[in-house]
Order: sequence, then structure tokens, then C-alpha cells
Amino acid sequence: MLKNYLKVAFRNLWKKKGFSFINITGLSIGMASAVLILLWIYSEISFDQFHEKSERIYQMYNRSVFDGKLWCWGTTPKPMGAALRKDYPQVENAARVTQGTFLTSVGEKHLNSSGYLTDPDFLKIFSFPLLKGDAARALGKAGSIVITEKLAQKLFGEADAFGKVIRIDSIAQFTVTGIMKDLPANTRFDFEFLLPWSYMKTIGWDDNYWGNNSVQTYVLLKPGVTEAMANNRFRNITKSHSDTKDIEVFVHPITKWRLYSKFENGQIVGGRIGVVRLFGIIAGFILLIACINFMNLSTARSEKRAKEVGIRKVVGAQKGLLVSQFLGESILISLLAGMVAMIIVQLSLSGFNELTDKHLSIPYGSVLFWLASLVFVMLTGIIAGSYPAFYLSAYKPVSVLKGTFKAAHALVTPRKILVVMQFTFAIGLIICTIIVNQQIRYAQARETGYKKDNLVYTFIQGDVEKHYTAISNELLNSGAVTSITKTSAPITQKWSDSWGYSWKGKDPNAKLDFCIYNVDGNFAKTTGLRILRGRDIDVKTYPTDSNAMLLNEAAVKIMGFKDPIGQTVTNGDDGKWHVVGVIPDFILSSPYEPVSPMIVQGPKAWFNVIHLRLNSARATSDNLAKTEAIFKKYNPDYPPAFKFVDDEYGHKFAEEKRIGTLSGLFAGLTIVISCLGLFALATYMAENRIKEIGVRKVLGASVSSITTLLSTDFLKLVCISFVVAVPLAWWGMHTWLQSYTYRVPISIWVFAVTGVISVFIAVATISYQAIKAAIANPVKSLRTE
Amino acid sequence: MINITNLQKFYRTEEVETIALNNLSFGIKEGEFVAIMGPSGCGKSTLLNILGLLDDPDDGSYLFNGIEVAKFNERKRSDLRKHNIGFVFQSFNLIDELTVFENVELPLIYTKVGAAERKRRVEEVLDKMQIMHRRNHFPQQLSGGQQQRVAVARAVVNNPKLILADEPTGNLDSSNGNDVMQLLTDLNEQGTTIIMVTHSEHDARYTHRIIRMLDGQAVTENILV
Ligand SMILES: Nc1ncnc2c1ncn2[C@@H]1O[C@H](COP(=O)(O)OP(=O)(O)O)[C@@H](O)[C@H]1O
Ligand SMILES: [Mg+2]
Repeated sequence: MLKNYLKVAFRNLWKKKGFSFINITGLSIGMASAVLILLWIYSEISFDQFHEKSERIYQMYNRSVFDGKLWCWGTTPKPMGAALRKDYPQVENAARVTQGTFLTSVGEKHLNSSGYLTDPDFLKIFSFPLLKGDAARALGKAGSIVITEKLAQKLFGEADAFGKVIRIDSIAQFTVTGIMKDLPANTRFDFEFLLPWSYMKTIGWDDNYWGNNSVQTYVLLKPGVTEAMANNRFRNITKSHSDTKDIEVFVHPITKWRLYSKFENGQIVGGRIGVVRLFGIIAGFILLIACINFMNLSTARSEKRAKEVGIRKVVGAQKGLLVSQFLGESILISLLAGMVAMIIVQLSLSGFNELTDKHLSIPYGSVLFWLASLVFVMLTGIIAGSYPAFYLSAYKPVSVLKGTFKAAHALVTPRKILVVMQFTFAIGLIICTIIVNQQIRYAQARETGYKKDNLVYTFIQGDVEKHYTAISNELLNSGAVTSITKTSAPITQKWSDSWGYSWKGKDPNAKLDFCIYNVDGNFAKTTGLRILRGRDIDVKTYPTDSNAMLLNEAAVKIMGFKDPIGQTVTNGDDGKWHVVGVIPDFILSSPYEPVSPMIVQGPKAWFNVIHLRLNSARATSDNLAKTEAIFKKYNPDYPPAFKFVDDEYGHKFAEEKRIGTLSGLFAGLTIVISCLGLFALATYMAENRIKEIGVRKVLGASVSSITTLLSTDFLKLVCISFVVAVPLAWWGMHTWLQSYTYRVPISIWVFAVTGVISVFIAVATISYQAIKAAIANPVKSLRTE
Repeated sequence: MINITNLQKFYRTEEVETIALNNLSFGIKEGEFVAIMGPSGCGKSTLLNILGLLDDPDDGSYLFNGIEVAKFNERKRSDLRKHNIGFVFQSFNLIDELTVFENVELPLIYTKVGAAERKRRVEEVLDKMQIMHRRNHFPQQLSGGQQQRVAVARAVVNNPKLILADEPTGNLDSSNGNDVMQLLTDLNEQGTTIIMVTHSEHDARYTHRIIRMLDGQAVTENILV
């Protein structure tokens, strides 16, 4: 019996090659898209879930009220780690983590590497296995360093790195006490080395101040300690160790780090899980659309198979048998499509990885994967085949064999509903793609406030600070650089904020947060920023300017200054600044958000970065070569590295661009699959109406009137889809845009353009079959009866 | 073998109600060869479909081998049908995707006959119908006469007690038609009951008895033997 079914199934596939091709292509594209997305989702939900003790690992979090709102954040004071370990029996291990980029050298080989400074417990909490060395002791001594395989390879080549010495920033010597297996892709941690916390003291980064929240603290709780118990015990840890009275501490479990990290008013309100769900829905829909094709084509073809069903029933097949026969056929097709899909996935994986910034791969070795694939194929086959199977097997043999059987030409048929569903989804995705791209362009067009071109920056490392004046003079004299400024951070990144500032007339109860940025002078000249009032900081002309300060317009407004120039702003006991100028609200962090109040402190503050304006009259490559040579001369150990501000600024749009590209891709795929289906439906329609067309032509109908007649049925469906899709897409995009303060208004013409595009695509798909049917010789078609 | 009493069948389409069978009663004994004749639209096919358990009557009784089957559900009908009844149609109704052999094999598959036994029986019946040499051909590659012989082969392969033939020669020329009639006669002589709808007085002469119908009723009976 099975053999008989398989035989018929294969012969059907072979005999209707076009139909099979469309079915398998559509289904495999749908399956491949779904598999890619499922791999992506799997990588998201598996983030940091590989740690053996993951059900006991937590990150310490703070919450406090600012501006009347409860905020939560994951950086903590440095002494918290030690306090947890010492005074709280619930804690098994605790480790602080802070990131650092240092020059790592072996012999004459120098590399800038980035890694963590952390406590020895780090290796006990997390499952990052050492290939060599003892995890329990590797970070125990001051002069030890743990490096990844990759860094070992970079520094030592093929030689064994274990026990060898690495110099950090040319001075400090560390012995390699552990070589770590390279980090998996699905972890939040990203480091090439681990240094013991004691090095923080050496370089002066450590402090014991409970008011400075600047490092992450991770804890491993003892077995049996619940999240609620921990929260209860840890709540007042900061309060009890300092005079801070308004910061409460809680724990955030590792299972929620990746997907549930967005807090609003102290509650988790989601995070990446939103994107994961959205992708899941999209995957489901694309697959469903591919299944719908299958259903539509199968039922459209059913008129041809009705005879087979009738005969099988006459000779004794029961309904259940027929249902399983047709289900089996669709599972077979689904299996074939699954194999094609696998090839598509393998071929497109690298492109998809690039698009999503991931390292996904097909886990060929995993039994679970093959099992899941099998279930996936069966499920797809059953979903795709169920409707046709019941539809076909419900035929009454009498009517079929007598020839009185006629396909339903009702106003609303399941087939029509399915086509409408497909096109609703396709049209919706087109609208979303257009609006996402509009939003990106809208934000890109926003005035940044400074000139991004020909502006580069580099980090202050090694001897640069010592030779700053000489470097600066030589750069200006070389003609490659027209202006230089030292700053606390790259002009595209917000590194620091603080609520510790006071001024005359400040409400003593208000806790107002400012973005902090430092410059040593020539800020406006170098960056191209305008000075709105007063002047730039200039310590050469005005010696008191080492305590000078600039404010942006938002800061002036929130501080309530009528005449800001000359005002004094203090920060604790030691910082006393006077305002010399006002700058516009330039974009430091997000191009989608309003600029927050900013304080720009003068030369007395701290610096990490040098910004250079290259001479626009000369070739950039020349400028860069000269600049690099000068840095190399004064700071020979460090490979010079300059970043272009316009590139860095461009990265701010990466996430949105990714969403835009993905939704464009999915829209394209949906359209391809839907049009394949529409094309096939048009083919069957033309076949089924061949006699009607012949009669009409004999009676004098023109080709164009018949083409129109055949096309309008389908166009009507596309129009209905459009009407359904517009409000759905509008609502979705409206919701998405709410997360951006600077957002593009949704304009009517987006919908108009989409409408025209979809009708055009539909007409292009249908017209070939419609015209072909219309120009056929009627004598031929009538003779077929 | 067959006893119908006051059989009724209506077709309702929109506002028109057609009475296809109107209080029809007759009996057919085992081993009989009966022709049903009458003008087009008088209800012959409807009757045959009901007798063949493809359709159910709206009213009346249908005793098949003494069992009341008029109110059988589809499952029971299907069970009874596949073991007892074979069909031959005017338009052959072979499955285009299956070969001659596979078409004939089909009823045996549905009655769960083993593969070796199936092969033996299909070959035997194909031999008898003299189309063995065409066993691997598809229906479209055969002439009408050959297709009808395949259809007859398929109808008898299960050794049914009853064969229902709806204008089996209607699409055939007279020589092919005579061949098919000879086949049916042979089958009848081996004990199979046959009920055949036909328009041809010539074909009717092969049978034992003719039931003439008009407007859903049996009007006369001619006993030929
Ligand atoms: N499916 C149907 N729907 C409506 N009327 C039908 C149907 N089948 C048959 N009829 C009507 O029932 C009557 C008997 O039909 P049928 O049994 O096919 O006649 P015959 O085979 O004798 O030509 C005819 O009037 C026909 O129009
Ligand atoms: Mg008839």
C-alpha cells in the first residue's frame, strides 16, 4: 500500500514538473528562512546558558530615583565584591570585572589587546575552561595572567605560551598561568586576557569609594539560596557601607542577562526578547506562506485529481486512507523541500551571519538538531498537506465520476483567504521596510552639531601623554593636522555622567544628571562646533582657564542660568569651575534621542583621547601617514591606531540598518514565494477556464478583454490584502517608532507607493498566463472536449 | 441477492426538485444478468450508484444478500462494496498515473491482499482479458477497447459477486463492444451476477432480463431466457 502511494506521489511530482518545482522551491525557501531565523533565535536564547552553575549566577544591580523615575543599572562600587564575599554567607563566590585595553608585548612583538581585570573567583563562577593551568589558582598571584588561545597564538605563534612572560604597557611583567579555550560566540563576555585585580592598584584605577559605580560585580550564590532571598539580604549593602541613602541593590539572574535586560521603573519590561519574538513570528509567517502555496496549488489541482480520488473510493478506499495518502504525499514534498532548504541554508549562512553580526552554524553533529529537523519537516508537511488532504478526500465519488463535479466558484473560498493572507504579509513587510529605511535616513540627516569629515581620534597610550606638547607642535608644523584637542572620550561616545554638581540657585533636593566631557582647549576649532556665547577654553591666553567649563544649551536651560558666562559650578569639595562659553546641543550618544545636558570641563580634568582635524587641503592618506610617523617617533612601542569620526558615527545606525536590511530581505522572500504561488494559481485558472475562453473568443471577445477578465479576480484579492495590511503595518511601525524620540512621521505616500508596487508585481505575475490563455486558438481549446 | 422496495431518490438544485427514482421496486437473483434500459435522464445511473453503494437512497429499502443497507454509513458501505461489488463505467475511469497492472491491482491493495498473491491474481485476470502484454503501459497509451478491458479486469480481480456496468460499450465501436459483452457473458456464466445499463438493444440481447425504466419507475420487464 505504501509502495503504491509512493509510486503515485513520485509520478505526480514528475508528471507535473512545473507544479512540483514551484511547490518545492517555495516550500524550501520558506523552510530555509525559517531555519536561519530559528538558528538565530537559538543562539540568542542560548546566550551564556552554557555555564555549569548558571542557575546560581547573578549580576549585582543598583536602583535609585532620578528625576522622579526609578532607574536600574548594572555597574557597582568596587568594594562591593569584597564585602559580599566577606559578610554574606549566601555568597559562594564573587568577582568584579572591568575592561581594559593595554599594550601586550612579547620580545619585539607589540599588540593592543583588550581584556578584563578581575578577581580569581571569575574562573570559579563561569565555565571558561583552561586548556593549560589550574583554574582555582591561575589568577591568585599578582604577577599572573590568563590568556585565550587566540592571543597566545598572536603573541607566541606556535610556541607554548604557558609559563612565559608578557609585558603589559611595556613595564609590568606577567607570567602566563593559564591558557583558555577561545570564548564561544554566545557569551556576553569578550576578552583576550584576564589580569588579577591587584593590577588595578598598580595603575591607579582602584578605589574604595562606595559612590563610584564603575565595575560589574558577579556572584555565585550557595545552592538553595533563591533570588528573592538574595534580594532581601543584599538590598541595603550600599546603604550600610556608606552614607548613600537612596541606592538599593538587587540581583539579576544570568538567565535574563541577554533577553530581559530592559528595566522601567524598577521592573523588567523585556529587552532583546522583543526582537526574538518578532523574529519568531516572522519565521512562522514565512513558513506559513510557503505552506499556503502548497495548499492552494494542491487544491487548485484537485480538480485534476478528483477522478483519482473517485476511483480509489469506488474500488474501496476509505476516507482515512485517502487522507493519509495525501498527507504522505505532502510530507514527501516537505522532505524534498527540507533537503533543498538545507543546501540553501548552508550556502546563505555566511551572508546571513554578516547581516546579523553572528557566528551561526548548522550543528550537523547534534542529534537534537536532526530530531528537530525531522519534526520540523513532518510538521510542515502536515500543515501544508492537511487542508488539501481533507478537501480532496471529501469528494463524493458519484459526482466526480459522473462529471457533475465542479470546483466551487464561491465569493469567499479558503483558497482566496489564503492568497489574501500571503499578500497581506508581503505588503505589510514592504511598508515596514520603507518606513525603517526612512527612519534611518531621517536620523542620519539630523544635524550632529560638529563636522565629522577629516576628524580622527586616537587613544592616549604609553608615552603620548609625556610628549604631548612636542607631538602636538610637530603635528601642526607638519601641515597634516590643522587643530588638536585632548578629550575625555571619543566625540561619538558618552563615557561618563554625574549628578554631583551644584551651582547658585540649584534646588538642593533635585538630583540632576549631567553628561560629562573634558577638553583641554581648541575644542570648537578642532571639531567644527560653534560657540554660541562666550568663548572656547583657552589656557594659553587665559591662565585661569584650567578650571574653565563649557555648557551645552540643555545644561544652561536645566541649570536655569539667565547669563551663564562667569557662573561657578562646583563638584564636591575639590572641583570648582567657571563657565566661559556655551556650545550647541551636539549629538554625543544617540542620534535618536534628545541631547542631554552636558558639562564640558577644562584642562584640570582627566583625558583619554586626542582628536585631530586633518588638513582638508591635502590627501587624507598623506595626512595619516605623517601623523602616524610622528606618533611612532614619540611612542615607538604602540602601533598607532586612528579612527575616523564619520565611520564611528555611522556605527550608531548599524542596528537599525540591520533591521531595515532584514525586513527588506524577508519582504523580498515573501514576495517571491507568494508570486510563485500566484503564478501557479493563474496557470491552473487558465487551464480550467480554457473552454470558457474558447467560447468567448468564438463569440467575439478581444484578447485584452479576456486578459482583463482573467486578471481581475486576482487583482481584487491583492487589493483586499492591501486594505488589510495598511492598518496592521501602520500600527506596527507606529509602535516601533515610539522607542525613538526623533522619529520620522509616517506619511501617506508610503502606503500609496506600496499599493502601486504590489499591484504592479501581481499584474506582472498573472499577465503571462492570462495573455497566453487569451491568445490561444479557440478551435484547439474547444476540441479538447 | 438484491431486493429493493419503494426506492426513492430526489435531487434538489436551487428551486428545482428532480425525482430521479420514484417508488422503484424489483429483485435480482444470484447469477442473473440483467439489462436496465430507458431514455436518458430516467434514473438508470442513479439506480446503479445506489445499488453499488456509492450513493444512498432518500427512502425505501435495499436488501443486499438479506441485509438492509439503505441506511449504512460510508464506512460500512465501503467495506461491503470493496469485497462484493465491481464497477465498469462508460468512460473507463482508470487512474492515469498508474500502469495497467497497478490499476488492476488497486482493489486488491484496498482489501489487503498480500503482494505475491496480488501479482498472481492480477496476472491471471490480465491474461484472461488478453492484455497481459500491455501490463506496463499507462491508460493513455491504450485504445478504448483495451482500456475497457482493463476496467473489466479491475472490476473482476477481487472476484466480486456483483458487477455493475454503466453503459460499458457506450464509448466503443461495435467490434470492441462485442468483445466486452462476451467478457461479461463469460463472467456471468462463471456465476457472477451482472447488472448493466445500456442503450443498445443489441447488447441487451446478451442478458437474461431487461428492466425498462421511465421517469424513475420500472415500466416493463422482458424475460429473455
Ligand atoms: N447530481 C445531480 N444533481 C441534480 N440532478 C441530478 C444529479 N444526478 C442526476 N440528476 C438528475 O436525475 C435524473 C436521473 O439522472 P441519471 O440517473 O443520471 O439518468 P440516466 O443515467 O438514466 O441518464 C436526471 O433528471 C438528472 O438530471
Ligand atoms: Mg447515465
